[in-house]
Amino acid sequence: MDANLLVIVVLLPILAGVLIPLLPFRSRNQMLVFIETAVLLNSVLVFVLLISQPQESFILFRFTGDLTLSFHLDGLGTVFAGIVSVLWPLATLYAFEYMKHENHEKFFFMFYTVTYGVTLGIALAEDIMTMYCFYEMLSMVTLPLILHTLSREAVLASRTYLYYSLGGAAFAFIGMIFILTYGTTSNFMPGGVMDMAKIGDRTNMLLFVYLLCFCGFSVKAAMFPFSSWLPQAGVAPTPVTALLHAVAVVKAGAFTTMRVTYYSFGADFLRGTWAQTILMVLVIFTIVYGCSRALKETHIKRRLAWSTVSNLSYILFGVVLMTPLGLTGALCHMVFHAVMKISSFFCAGAVIYKTGREYIHQLNGFGRKMPKVFIVFTISGLALMGVPGLCGFISKWQLAKAAVETHSLLAYIGVAALLASALLTAIYMLTIVVRAFFPGRSFDYGTISDVEDPNWMMILPLVLFVVAMFVFGLHPGPVVHALEAVAAGVM
Amino acid sequence: MSSWILLPVFLPMAAGICLLASSFRAHLGGSGDATGDRSRLHSFTAAVLVISAVLALGAAWSGEKSVTLFYLMENIPVYFKIDALGRLFVTFVSIVWVAAGVYSFVYMQHEGEEKRFFGFYLVVYGVLVGLVFSGNLVTMYLFYELMTLTSVPLVLHNGSRESIMAALKYLFYSMCGAYLGLFGIFFLYQYCDTITFTAGGSLNMELARGNQGILLIAVFAMLIGFGAKAGMFPLHAWLPAAHPVAPSPASAVLSGVIVKGGVLAIVRVVYYMVGADFLRGTWVQTVWMMLSLLTVFMGSLLAFREPVFKKRLAYSTVSQISYVLFGLSVLTPTGMTGALMHTVFHSFIKSALFLTAGIFIFECGKTRVEELSGIGKRMPKTLWCYTFVSLALIGIPPTSGFVSKWYLAQGALESDTGVFGWLGPVVLLVSALLTAGYLLPVTMKGFFPGSNVKVTEEKEEQDAAKVREPALLMLVPLAVLAALAVLLGVFPNPLADYLRDLAAALM
Repeated sequence: MDANLLVIVVLLPILAGVLIPLLPFRSRNQMLVFIETAVLLNSVLVFVLLISQPQESFILFRFTGDLTLSFHLDGLGTVFAGIVSVLWPLATLYAFEYMKHENHEKFFFMFYTVTYGVTLGIALAEDIMTMYCFYEMLSMVTLPLILHTLSREAVLASRTYLYYSLGGAAFAFIGMIFILTYGTTSNFMPGGVMDMAKIGDRTNMLLFVYLLCFCGFSVKAAMFPFSSWLPQAGVAPTPVTALLHAVAVVKAGAFTTMRVTYYSFGADFLRGTWAQTILMVLVIFTIVYGCSRALKETHIKRRLAWSTVSNLSYILFGVVLMTPLGLTGALCHMVFHAVMKISSFFCAGAVIYKTGREYIHQLNGFGRKMPKVFIVFTISGLALMGVPGLCGFISKWQLAKAAVETHSLLAYIGVAALLASALLTAIYMLTIVVRAFFPGRSFDYGTISDVEDPNWMMILPLVLFVVAMFVFGLHPGPVVHALEAVAAGVM
Repeated sequence: MSSWILLPVFLPMAAGICLLASSFRAHLGGSGDATGDRSRLHSFTAAVLVISAVLALGAAWSGEKSVTLFYLMENIPVYFKIDALGRLFVTFVSIVWVAAGVYSFVYMQHEGEEKRFFGFYLVVYGVLVGLVFSGNLVTMYLFYELMTLTSVPLVLHNGSRESIMAALKYLFYSMCGAYLGLFGIFFLYQYCDTITFTAGGSLNMELARGNQGILLIAVFAMLIGFGAKAGMFPLHAWLPAAHPVAPSPASAVLSGVIVKGGVLAIVRVVYYMVGADFLRGTWVQTVWMMLSLLTVFMGSLLAFREPVFKKRLAYSTVSQISYVLFGLSVLTPTGMTGALMHTVFHSFIKSALFLTAGIFIFECGKTRVEELSGIGKRMPKTLWCYTFVSLALIGIPPTSGFVSKWYLAQGALESDTGVFGWLGPVVLLVSALLTAGYLLPVTMKGFFPGSNVKVTEEKEEQDAAKVREPALLMLVPLAVLAALAVLLGVFPNPLADYLRDLAAALM
């Protein structure tokens, strides 16, 4: 039964999603109830699954030979599936309210719900083949979500997204072939599956392939030079930007890089090689680059998107450190960044939904008119900056601790990059906060008299996120221990 | 059960948050100014301030105590401990905070938004006590960040475009400094036996061997970073921007107290984490001495040619805090005694100076130095107070500045830092001359405006000549601080003995 759940949680949302345009709903509310029930039910099933931790795997079907489409739950998958299943129902609730002012709701929710299943497919994939299939599917099902408004901008953005994703998948495909050829098995194994006897003196070639494969998967995690699709994709409706482009899709990118690094090629094989050095340089550069671009950006969602670019590279930085501590830091940031970024995006979305204002210079004085939203935004900003007491500090601490322990110069530079990025984060977040709360003495509140807080469907998720940020920030012990255990099991 | 020592941390914070919430709610209600009933606001603020100050002093002077609040992470408790250094800091912080608080009851009436001001004023006090009581590096960092964030609204209080830009500058310089500090914390966590402050440092020499290079860089980053708050070159530029635009009592505590947060952090890092021995004779010490001396000289020079009164005082702070930093950088007990002494004295002196500047603004709207001629005719008592603290800052015996500078020079001469042993005292002397040059003209022009001064309409002339002192609530705090600044110079021995013991225990 437990093993069957593995495949049920993947297929249920896909099925429910496909049914949305087909079922004859009598009213909008009916459709919403259907969607929320399906999503909630699925999340509950995922929790059951995560708690029972089935050891056996489920083989859906076989391609030729050993190639299978199969699912299995392990520590890393637990973390990712956990994040996704907690956030999805909340984001769906938020989307109900937000999508009121957009068209084509049915198709939107269809793809939105299908994505849930596909993301879980990536989290629960047992082998590289399965993961690759779902990775490709993820690109396909999220494409219509970016295209949603059908504006010129949206079409351009979705085209960019498509090219980047397909290109990335092609690189990843090369990696997959080599893993199948030089590995002992196609399954993910802690410590890697590379067969040293087969590799012989082709180490450098394999390292090159690893580089290609990592870059391919990290396209979704928006590593430089593959980052520009993410801010462009900000034209999508906010629930998409918030959940998919801050959590599900981009973290799928980070998650897949963890898989190939630790479970296919193996950290021992890679540690100390030139491939690691090149990736470190790229990642460290992205950390600073993303923040600098965020600083320049005046569109609120695009600014947050650039901030995501930088923060995803925090995660990748932890991954390429290739130590258990580094992976712990990466996982920590994966969890905490999900909360921080989704809540800041929801705030931005609330502003856009209620007022239609999208540029930062239009936000003067909003703090007094949308107090709840902007208090949450302030707290998310402080958390992103890494103020102690909030969760961002904890993950930054873990990452820096891991970096300092490696005793390598490049890692030290990485720590400096983390902090430089924190400073830039302070600048691009707090300028918004100051503008909103202290618009200046001569500001006329009459010009924004139409502005007000949104209703509970938007506020409730925000409140939960704030609570989570404080709980993770003040009492991170249990989470960090759990993640440490996961990371320790990998090496 | 000694957890009551946290009361002075959390009581003012809670009270301040209540005030802020009430101010915010009044704004949501749509009324313009949310001051409400002024006398109730004042008595509430005064009560909280006095109770917290009494509690803080009581906690500080009733023996060694420590409290672990909770564990942020494994090995990283949020931990408070009262030691000799904390006792010293909490004492002068409380005195200045209460004095400037009383002063602002009158002063803030013309600034508006009093509820918000007093709200943040109380919160920052709680945060400062927390900073001073912090018993380990991470707790200190937590309160250090909070201090920056909560003091920003004090700077941008009047809401002009200028003040907002200045506040952002202050914020980003401080953040930059804090992150440089955090960079060092990451390394010290790795290489120290414990992050709890230990007299003499807790660096693990075995681990550190072979990694001195990176450790020195880390410590240097911390010096520059925490030095940002203390106005040390190269991160000093926020001070002259933030001070003129902030309300005067805010500038007083900013200059008198909050910059000392940077000093405290540096003392904690150098003498309680890495230990003075580790730094002695390294390039870090040399560069640190160079930077602090450069700042001393540069600050004075800039103050000397600055026509805006409050900006002049701000540059003066830049210069004077680097006296303190220089005293710390020579790494001798005498130097440190002088440095801590100067911290205390400067705190009283500079707050008093800013309070004077505030009185000039409040009573006659004068912000530039050349407008102040003849002011002594109108407010003799105020100007006398100003004169006394100026003399103290210059270091004319028997006022306090003389004593601290004596120790500073002594400490430099004692140290074997080569050329700095004599260069330091020389720079201090030159800067003292400059200090006289930028402070005393106000006194002289104030009392003796000369005959060629603005021949305006007769009525105004008469008006200016009339004695009209500021309200007692403004004058008394000023007088108290001025008296402290002078008397501590006449009777320096108890303080000097206390500090000598403190310094001796660290080296």
